[in-house]
Amino acid sequence: MTCSKLETDIALYAGGDLPCGRIARVEAHLAECADCRALAQELRALQSALRDEPLEDALLAQVHQRVMAQLGGAGFSLRGALAPLLALAAAVILAAVLLWPRHHSGAGSQPAAASHAAQAEVGRGAAGPHGAAPLARKVHHRLRRAPAAQPGPPLLVQFVTDNPDIVVYWLIDQKPQGD
Amino acid sequence: MTAWRREITGDVAAFERIMSQCERRVLRVALRLLNNPQDAQDAAQEVFLRLYKHLGRLDQTRGYEPWLYGVTVNVCRDIGRARRRSVALADVPDPVSAQPDAYHHAERAQQREFIRRGLSCLGEKERAALVLRDVEGLSTEEVAGILGTSENTVRSQISTARLKLRDFTGRMTKKR
Repeated sequence: MTCSKLETDIALYAGGDLPCGRIARVEAHLAECADCRALAQELRALQSALRDEPLEDALLAQVHQRVMAQLGGAGFSLRGALAPLLALAAAVILAAVLLWPRHHSGAGSQPAAASHAAQAEVGRGAAGPHGAAPLARKVHHRLRRAPAAQPGPPLLVQFVTDNPDIVVYWLIDQKPQGD
Repeated sequence: MTAWRREITGDVAAFERIMSQCERRVLRVALRLLNNPQDAQDAAQEVFLRLYKHLGRLDQTRGYEPWLYGVTVNVCRDIGRARRRSVALADVPDPVSAQPDAYHHAERAQQREFIRRGLSCLGEKERAALVLRDVEGLSTEEVAGILGTSENTVRSQISTARLKLRDFTGRMTKKR
């Protein structure tokens, strides 16, 4: 068999990939052909050289950092995505707190008492809190007087309860004022 | 495998440990396939982000390495095609030196450069098969599984690639 026809098998033989059934033929040829032995030797050397590629640690470290930064970024994105939900939840809770006195004004409900007291305060102007629940300490402000025949400025009512953590502000639109 | 299980539950630190175990191999293969450090880094980064995304869905009985090699080859192929960069042909080091050590060092550097160039001249499939077999030391069966082909095809590809590479480096050596 000629050398050129065996080249492919020699390339496989040099890398240990030649199927068992073809090894004997290649080895017999190599035993008598110096050129093909040299070829096999070169191919083996080339295989070693292929593995001899230094890998800079700096390159590795950069990849590592970039991947972890991306994963960290994904984490921040997730928090960013949750932020509107958290804000919505907070708004719902706030609304529940604000609306609770109006819809559940049963006796003994302190916020409800505070609310009624404050509303009474607004309705009477500065007349004084007759019969107002002691829990509400009142405060209402007229922000500024609107020009005649113009809708009045909103009234800002501040509800102060015994709980210092709960302060409710109420903006009330006024109807247009005549003379 | 323990780290893998922790990762599935979202443990980024466990994923980082997995990455540390295989990042050198991924980057080495990417470098050999793309012959460009920046492209290889981009490829490796993409591979690990995909690993993070898919880790929970991988077949744990097979391990993640075949998947990792397969994705690396695919990502490198896509990057190579998309960028269509001309091969980064750095100046070939000139082995001119009076000192034997320096001469030997320069000779090795020159050979590395010839091999880089030679790999760039191979077809995509031949290069992938050769890198997985000769650089990574995987069996022809494993390479066939990763590349989705038969063992006979892999043998044909690696024998052709070895002969082409040998011819290329031989011509380059004679030129100089």
